[in-house]
Amino acid sequence: MNWGVKWKVFWETLSGEFYRKLFFQGLINTVKIAVLGLIIGIFIGTVIAVVKVMPKYKKLPKALDKICDVYVAIFRGTPMVVQLLIAYYVLLPVLGIRGVEAINVGIAVFGMNSGAYVSEIMRSGINSVDKGQMEAGRALGLGYAVTMLKIVVPQAVKNILPTLGNEFITLIKETSVLSFITVYDLYTALGAIGSKNYDTVMPYLFMAFIYIVLVLAITFMVKGLEKLMAKSDRKKAGGVI
Amino acid sequence: MNNERPLICVKNLKKNFDDVMVLEDISTDIRKGEKVAVIGPSGSGKSTFLRCLNCMEDPSGGNIFFDGEDIADMKVDINKHREHIGMVFQQFNLFNNKTVLKNITLAPVYFGLKKHRAERCKNFCIAVANLFRKNKKPLIQITQTRKMIKEKANERAMELLKRIGLEEKANAYPSTLSGGQKQRIAIIRALAMNPQVILFDEPTSALDPEMVGEVLDLIRKLAEEGMTMVIVTHEMGFAREIADRVLFIDSGKICEEGSPQELFEHPKNPRLREFLSKVL
Repeated sequence: MNWGVKWKVFWETLSGEFYRKLFFQGLINTVKIAVLGLIIGIFIGTVIAVVKVMPKYKKLPKALDKICDVYVAIFRGTPMVVQLLIAYYVLLPVLGIRGVEAINVGIAVFGMNSGAYVSEIMRSGINSVDKGQMEAGRALGLGYAVTMLKIVVPQAVKNILPTLGNEFITLIKETSVLSFITVYDLYTALGAIGSKNYDTVMPYLFMAFIYIVLVLAITFMVKGLEKLMAKSDRKKAGGVI
Repeated sequence: MNNERPLICVKNLKKNFDDVMVLEDISTDIRKGEKVAVIGPSGSGKSTFLRCLNCMEDPSGGNIFFDGEDIADMKVDINKHREHIGMVFQQFNLFNNKTVLKNITLAPVYFGLKKHRAERCKNFCIAVANLFRKNKKPLIQITQTRKMIKEKANERAMELLKRIGLEEKANAYPSTLSGGQKQRIAIIRALAMNPQVILFDEPTSALDPEMVGEVLDLIRKLAEEGMTMVIVTHEMGFAREIADRVLFIDSGKICEEGSPQELFEHPKNPRLREFLSKVL
């Protein structure tokens, strides 16, 4: 195997205008879907987690709890590919919705899927916060939702940040299934070079390299964020006047 | 006896956790300006009694009238009443993610802004209705801006911090403070809401012995200023010194109540006698 030649052929193809554009389009799509998916996921996950830990005296929280159970069961119980296929090829035609771009469907499905996972992460985060924090807020006359949002959830997020980073990494890598619904992501873009040259060695190795770089970048960012949020910890509290 | 309506009126309060009876039948009145100390062996239900007073634990039966309204009723908006009932916890429970200043101003700013929002919303409704009215209704005068509300709360918080000599800690996080400092800040956090009564749930039990003094001093000063307070405590000397009335609770009932002198010097109830012989 002549690695030098293979690399040269691959690099020439990638440098060509068409494939370069395809590659950057794929890279942008991958990052965009993962980031937006995570944001939607955190939002949905937080809502579900709060419903889950809510005291259940009344009927409404009980009903919401059941709905959340069903939601989590569906989105954790089926593979992401199946969800994408159903959303794009079954739900959209059945509901008669036209003109939705595949990438938006991807973002929505990624968000909803990750919401199911984040809800459990967030719930453990909320449970890790001392019960006294909620009591202190309520004793001041603040409502349940306000105390949750201003006091408990920020502390919970701090505790679960490493796990949320995990979720983000999973999402980045999962984007490779988006080719099923015709979205150009990193996998499709580099795969196209492989099919053009009848040689997949370099494209696949390069693909792995790009994914690793992305994941390392996320790891780095999460660490930075952790440091930033640790300012209320005793060791890091440099801001004492 | 004065005939003034008591601030808190507890009638036949009952509380059980599933099938464990914690409070059997408690009735008492707390008048404005009165300092009530609650003593008793551990597990007797005194903390539960205190937590029932602001419905941190929902009573299983009976009534609690605060300001003439029954807050034991589940339909009552309890948050509205909790604004006027301060509470200080054994474990301080300062908000760990907020600085000391934010801890104190959080609730006052929140309620100030909420009221501000409500007034503006009302004004908007009046203005819209005025379009169709012949004789226009005047708008509500809003004197404060959002910024002013925040500044006022900050000023008040700094004033309170100065009072306990911790103004240089305003921007510190709770994790950097000592237990005594945390508890004093927790007390002024309750005070910043201008409550009508403060409930103290064993305020010194989690403190190092040398820090107990500073916290008790602050509570004593508040008592002298005429703040109504209910204190669950194991500090018998302190209870005796500041309380107008002492309740001895054992196995969910008030076994004896009276002035500190008669309770500590001439206990009638045998359980109280036994309890005092152990702790004094």
